[in-house]
Amino acid sequence: MALETPRESVPDTSFPKQTLVSLLIFAAAWEALSHLAPYLGIPPFAVPSLMKIGRSIATITPLDIVVTLARVIGALIISFVLGVLGAMAMYRSQTLDNYLHPMIRILMAVPVVSWILFAVLWFPGVEFRIAFVLVVVCGPVFLVDSLDAMRGVSRDLRNMMLSFRPTTTDYFVKLMLPAILPSVFTSWKVNISLAIRVVTIAELVGAVTGIGHQLSVAQELFSVADVFAWTIVLVALLFLLEALVARIEHRLLRWRT
Amino acid sequence: MNGPPPISVRGLRKVFRQTTSGQSVVAIDRLDLTIAPKEVVAIVGQTGCGKSTFFDLMIGLDKPTEGTLNIGDHSPFADFDYFRGKIATVFQQDRLLPWRSALDNAKLPLELLRVPEPEQRERALKWLTRLGLGKFVNAYPHELSGGMRQRVAIARAFAVQPEILLADEAFGHLDEVTAAELRGEFLALARECGSTAILITHQLEEAIAVGDRIVVFGKSAKLLADIHVGQWDAADYGTLREAIQATLQSNAPDPRLTR
Repeated sequence: MALETPRESVPDTSFPKQTLVSLLIFAAAWEALSHLAPYLGIPPFAVPSLMKIGRSIATITPLDIVVTLARVIGALIISFVLGVLGAMAMYRSQTLDNYLHPMIRILMAVPVVSWILFAVLWFPGVEFRIAFVLVVVCGPVFLVDSLDAMRGVSRDLRNMMLSFRPTTTDYFVKLMLPAILPSVFTSWKVNISLAIRVVTIAELVGAVTGIGHQLSVAQELFSVADVFAWTIVLVALLFLLEALVARIEHRLLRWRT
Repeated sequence: MNGPPPISVRGLRKVFRQTTSGQSVVAIDRLDLTIAPKEVVAIVGQTGCGKSTFFDLMIGLDKPTEGTLNIGDHSPFADFDYFRGKIATVFQQDRLLPWRSALDNAKLPLELLRVPEPEQRERALKWLTRLGLGKFVNAYPHELSGGMRQRVAIARAFAVQPEILLADEAFGHLDEVTAAELRGEFLALARECGSTAILITHQLEEAIAVGDRIVVFGKSAKLLADIHVGQWDAADYGTLREAIQATLQSNAPDPRLTR
């Protein structure tokens, strides 16, 4: 099941009928396949029935969800702060931008798996490894998006602000940061789905808690039902976080409507 | 406050290099101009005559290539922070911050000046009310009409109580009735505050309505005429208008302007 889903800018409280129907059709097809599996030469563990998946969902440990969620949110906040600070520095200094820009391009081109392997080889602590991987993957996205947004702030508004002679702090706090807020929210949405997917891979390697770890346990036990159950949890988590961000966005950007 | 300092421009030159062709463009060529304290001056000129460049130099956003532009003993560019709270500008477009209400927009410069919060509110409210926006202080810019937004921008400038007020085509994009009304209010308030006011415009009616003095810029901000409106009878304003028009068209002073 793909984790890519269209993102709504406004919190969507209604559940469209078509979505429900397509989900039901998928569930029915899955259930039918699970019963037909023995006749089709598919190993019985490969397509567990909905009952079995339901039982797996019932055994899900909330602690692992909390741990994964905490890792994602913590790392995203660190990435966000570092990204925006970096963007502010690069906005202020063209020289810094000239030196850092190529480095960031390279960072962004490195595959996630390489980062995970580097982290495992370099750092002893599990939490630090996971945080490192998430920050190094999400941070540059925040940085590049914020920098672009700052450069996009209209010259008219920048000159207006300058004409009142703000301090550097005021210039950023009162003009730049509010001006880039819409784009910051877009970055958050992109990064949340990125972080949820990356964190599970990072947890797959070496962690003893978290959803990624539970997934690796399920894989060792050949329990497709457990994998399925944890996947559903991940998708739900992603939707929940996105809805949360959309709600905050709606609130903070109400001057736009 | 001892009143605003005089503005003196000596041999001011501003040359731009075009990014694409690398050619130099002389926006302002050796301008000399003195503006007395509390004077209300209109600068007229055709598009591309260097008015806006002159304006950017006045605000201190740009550096003169040669010559000096001083307000009192200070240069708005070199002593940028010195002029915090001393210069306020009304721009061609309202340039309000869309995420701030009318009130918060009007008190923006006061926040930058570190004026205590209750006073910020009070001063912003006072000016918004004077400009007829008492009922709209909590409205966001997108909820206001063009004229109302420009009123907020004017309130924002006056809230500073600046020594120097600058207006760059501030009424140009409004309909004539609203523009005339706002221009009148702007001038009355400027005189009341005892600020030096410089208005840039391409509309001759506006320039003549402004009063004290009209400075006519030709190409590269060449000083074509410096008219003291007080020396003209209201009955001769038609001739004055035509003479300025002729001056702008021929890029040379019209003989009728010499008095």
